Amino acid sequence: MVRLIVDNVHVAYPIYNSQQNMRRALFARTIGGLIQSETRRPNVLLVNALNGVSLDLMEGDRLGLVGHNGAGKSTLLRVMAGIYEPVAGRVLVEGRMTPLFDTMPGLDGEDTGYENIVTAGYLHGMTHAEIERKIPYIESFSGLGEFLSLPYRTYSSGMMMRLGFSIATAVDPEILLMDEGIGAGDASFAERATKRLEEFAGESRIMVLASHSEQLLRKTCNRAALMQSGRIMALGSPDEIFARYRELPHAAAPEPVLN
Amino acid sequence: MNEIASHRHEPAGNLVRSLAITARDDIVGGLLKPHVYGRLGWLDTKRRYRRTVLGPFWSAASLAISVTALGSIGVGLWRQPAADYIPFLAAGMIVWLLIQSVLTESCVTFTSNPTLFRQIRLEYSVLAYALVWRNLLAFMHNMVVYLAVYLAFAPQRLGLIQLLILPGLAIVALNAAWIALLLGMVCLRFRDMQPLIANLTQITIFVTPIFWPPDVLQAASRVVFVTLNPVYHLIEVVRAPLIGTAPAFENYAAAITTALIGWTATYLVFQRYRKRIAFWS
Repeated sequence: MVRLIVDNVHVAYPIYNSQQNMRRALFARTIGGLIQSETRRPNVLLVNALNGVSLDLMEGDRLGLVGHNGAGKSTLLRVMAGIYEPVAGRVLVEGRMTPLFDTMPGLDGEDTGYENIVTAGYLHGMTHAEIERKIPYIESFSGLGEFLSLPYRTYSSGMMMRLGFSIATAVDPEILLMDEGIGAGDASFAERATKRLEEFAGESRIMVLASHSEQLLRKTCNRAALMQSGRIMALGSPDEIFARYRELPHAAAPEPVLN
Repeated sequence: MNEIASHRHEPAGNLVRSLAITARDDIVGGLLKPHVYGRLGWLDTKRRYRRTVLGPFWSAASLAISVTALGSIGVGLWRQPAADYIPFLAAGMIVWLLIQSVLTESCVTFTSNPTLFRQIRLEYSVLAYALVWRNLLAFMHNMVVYLAVYLAFAPQRLGLIQLLILPGLAIVALNAAWIALLLGMVCLRFRDMQPLIANLTQITIFVTPIFWPPDVLQAASRVVFVTLNPVYHLIEVVRAPLIGTAPAFENYAAAITTALIGWTATYLVFQRYRKRIAFWS
């Protein structure tokens, strides 16, 4: 049983920019007295990144997130991954979840590819035995060969992507969350990666993929959601959603509000 | 959506688990992952060996130089025999280096690892435990200097009493963990804090009996800089057994009280602001 429920989730980013931040905080305390409501902070810019998003994904759902930059796709993925906690609403999950965002976490330039595989595996909640079992797959899938024994900093960005993608898909995720996951690799790897995603999708688990590539989403997803200004505007088949997407005016990110 | 409505009253953790975790889940859950923070801390240490000859022993080497230089001055300044003062100084410096690097590194617990916890769901406390472990490993490297000094100046002080170093280190580690978590959060939110902490740390070494023996102070100034100085007690629970004596009861009491107060404050702050850490980074 694999399931991912996003229940009326709201996320707001506070933006702290001022160099006088600490002075203001101290000052506000003195004049505001002891009971200072968190929402009454002047000069903190809040960006409402998600405004009441609800989704219910079950086994076999491969959802593509479509939308302009700043529509809330990455934020939604991070909320699903449990990295951002929503201001309101909640996320319920059943199943092992693996996020693959812009880079793999915990990879250090000075460590070799093999050392990084173990670190990343631990961070993804794998045991040492599981990682050992997955190493042959990572070796063959990444195609990095001897480079796995060299420090990670010697890799090109495409090679880094190859390693990250190979580790993320080796975790046996029941729920895979990907943000613009592929595209950095060269053509042959991009093809293999797309194929791996299709395979993965065929194993009737849950996948959520945010991408601007219509081709990739059509190939790997059976549902799509159109996001705009932190809301899900439409949910449907990839064909329907891309038709709606093309009608959208070139809207930017949600307006920041001064709280 | 109907499905959501029908699941709304399900107890979380039964069929579906909620992603929201409490401060307690984070602190305890992180502690139960020794393989993760053990590896993070160990790899940090290992990286210091890369492409260098001495690696982490550089800190031991600079410690040896400081002990030699300050030892020569101190023997004259405090009119103490070298066989007493240099072992006292070396033991104090080793413990101080541990506390000092915990304090300075705590400011970057979170700022130095933003990719880690923005890419993956991870107990924040894991980063604090990794910091403590890394510093304990560095402490063990510095023990080379300790052994060299004691074998040369005071071999008669080495004995079973040195076993008391272990509970002392455990108390220091207990304190280091809350410091790493609390300062990590404060310095992440308020970027002014890091230079301030660095500054205070630098002053602490002079106002704490490390270079000077605590007995040179009397009356009120002794109360302020020795009795009421939490850093003194933290140092003493490890330094006394290093020197070959047992720490006083008040040292243990003060160091444990510091841990209790520190953890309480940290827990309250962590409970309230844990969710914001990802946004502050």
